Amino acid sequence: MQELKRLAILTLVLLVLFGAERVSGKVYIDIDSPSFQKFPIAVTDFKPLRPGQANVELPVWFSDTLGRSLALTGYFHVLDERAFLEDQAQAGITAEGTRFSDWVTIGAEYLVKGGFQEDGRELITEFRLFDVVNGELVVGKRYSGKPDDKNRMVIQFASEILQALTGEAGLFDTRIAFVKKSGSSADIHTINFDGSDLRKITNYGALTLSPRWSPDGRALAFTSYKDGNPDVYLRDMASGATQKIVSYAGMNLPGSWSRDGGRLLLALSRDGNQEIYDMNVGNRLLQRLTRDFSIDVSPVRSPDERRIAFVSNRGGSPQIYIMDADGGNVRRLTYEGNYNTSPAWSPRGKKIAYEGSVDGRFQIFIIDAEGGSPQQLTFGGSSHESPSWSPDGRYLACSAHGYGRSRIEIMSANGQNVRVLHEGNEGCQSPFWSPHLR
Amino acid sequence: MKRSLLLIGLIALAVCLSVTFLTGCAKKAAIKEEPVVTQEQKPAAQAPAAVVTDDREARERALREQALRDQAAREAAAREAREAAEREAKEAADRAKKEAAAKQAAILKELQIPDIQFDFDKYNLKPEAREILKTGAAAYLKYREYKLVVEGHCDERGTVEYNLALGQRRADEAGKYLGDLGVEKERIKTISYGKEMPLDNGHDEAAWAKNRRAHFVVFPPVQ
Repeated sequence: MQELKRLAILTLVLLVLFGAERVSGKVYIDIDSPSFQKFPIAVTDFKPLRPGQANVELPVWFSDTLGRSLALTGYFHVLDERAFLEDQAQAGITAEGTRFSDWVTIGAEYLVKGGFQEDGRELITEFRLFDVVNGELVVGKRYSGKPDDKNRMVIQFASEILQALTGEAGLFDTRIAFVKKSGSSADIHTINFDGSDLRKITNYGALTLSPRWSPDGRALAFTSYKDGNPDVYLRDMASGATQKIVSYAGMNLPGSWSRDGGRLLLALSRDGNQEIYDMNVGNRLLQRLTRDFSIDVSPVRSPDERRIAFVSNRGGSPQIYIMDADGGNVRRLTYEGNYNTSPAWSPRGKKIAYEGSVDGRFQIFIIDAEGGSPQQLTFGGSSHESPSWSPDGRYLACSAHGYGRSRIEIMSANGQNVRVLHEGNEGCQSPFWSPHLR
Repeated sequence: MKRSLLLIGLIALAVCLSVTFLTGCAKKAAIKEEPVVTQEQKPAAQAPAAVVTDDREARERALREQALRDQAAREAAAREAREAAEREAKEAADRAKKEAAAKQAAILKELQIPDIQFDFDKYNLKPEAREILKTGAAAYLKYREYKLVVEGHCDERGTVEYNLALGQRRADEAGKYLGDLGVEKERIKTISYGKEMPLDNGHDEAAWAKNRRAHFVVFPPVQ
């Protein structure tokens, strides 16, 4: 976090040399269109900003790393450099030094060029994104920092590209929390959106489950058996300070937060039955929302906070239900299949992802929050469970189990572009996507 | 002349013989004596002295020695008796301990309710589960100072959270039934482990059936 802040300050200090302002607000790519196709983009090797610098690794490192990051988003088809026509030795890194016709010919729609200057403790980089068809600069940035900052500079510019072309900054500043089992204990881990930087967050030698990021990403609520009973804890992610916040007799499970972080939904069995409660995190006062002699669990708020989706078996099997925020007006959402659980409300509010039983396995579905026919997103011999939306609503994380392996996966919201974030022999479960952490 | 020659010859023979005999004897005596002196050493040397001392003194010393020997014997006997008593006490304590442990083990065995099984996604108690709980409740009514924890477990299929709720419900149903049979509510604690602590790590119905269970843990009174 501190490092990200440092880079953010660097970014403010950096000189925005280039005339990128005219594209602000203009969104080039409608990625929600059913006919969406990946955008062909070329990334050339970076050039020394000052002649005479002879670093042979950095030019390729920058183009490779940026190309990989862009490919990771699922929105870009990164062109193979063997197809490039433009004479790289002669070409410059500005619009004037670029023969756009050479790029149109090989089918590129966007082009990234860049340069760097490294002298010992300082690294200066320039990145430019061109619209090849119109032959113009879309966005350009200059960053300065330490040589170690080069990864963050690339990711920062990848975010700029996404912001300029899709209207959203992408997910490079997000992490996914998940539970990794080891024998009879389980601990919460976090990992970057690109699969890098795995960190073990808890280490209690006990079952620790159900991570739930606070809306500002600064805290994580979870359930742990570290003192024997499954109680709810709240961990400050910067300091690591952890406090027990809910410890009634029986089961204590966190649900979703309110947007202001002031309230936390809970599933508790304290009243002799698994019911849903809304807790004021400040004074810990509970408001009971469900009153039904059945299991009620896994509450999630709609983004407008007017409704709550949850799982109940009041109809004889576990199904997704929706109620108003005060517990009234309960209606059943899912009817197909005899086991539908783990609702996740999309950040845009229209869809609910969940897991459902199909032929003895579990697969991810999405359904319109107003009801209708579910759409199955995952298939095959592995079970897929616990969907969680990315903050921009364009991806889903889920766990997958099968063939003796256990994985945390990411896919586009239409079920395509499946990517494995983490894989292990033992249980990887309950992924939960963070908000933007910058 | 002849007689005198014979006499001289006889004398000479006698002298020769005697010399031979004497020297031979002297040699033998020297060889024999040496080991005797070295082996017998002082007692052999003092023995003549003891003979010299008078009888009264010898008797007194003999008495003293006898007294000392008697005392040593008495002490040894006392020590043996004491050790035997200690050994016996320890054995008795061990026996008592073993008996207590055996009794405790018997009580724990009587209080150990076997796991009860559930159907998939169900928490109602089956008839055989009720029979098991009736026997268990009788034991807890007999030993009222013992408490118990009811653990609810599920098979691996389905959601972590829904299974935690389901496991809690299984534990609660079993606990409630024990309560209905007269076991005080305060003595029964319930906890759910959902699908996180399977008994059998297999992925088939046989394993799942074993894992859909309520498990009972006895808590003896704190001494």
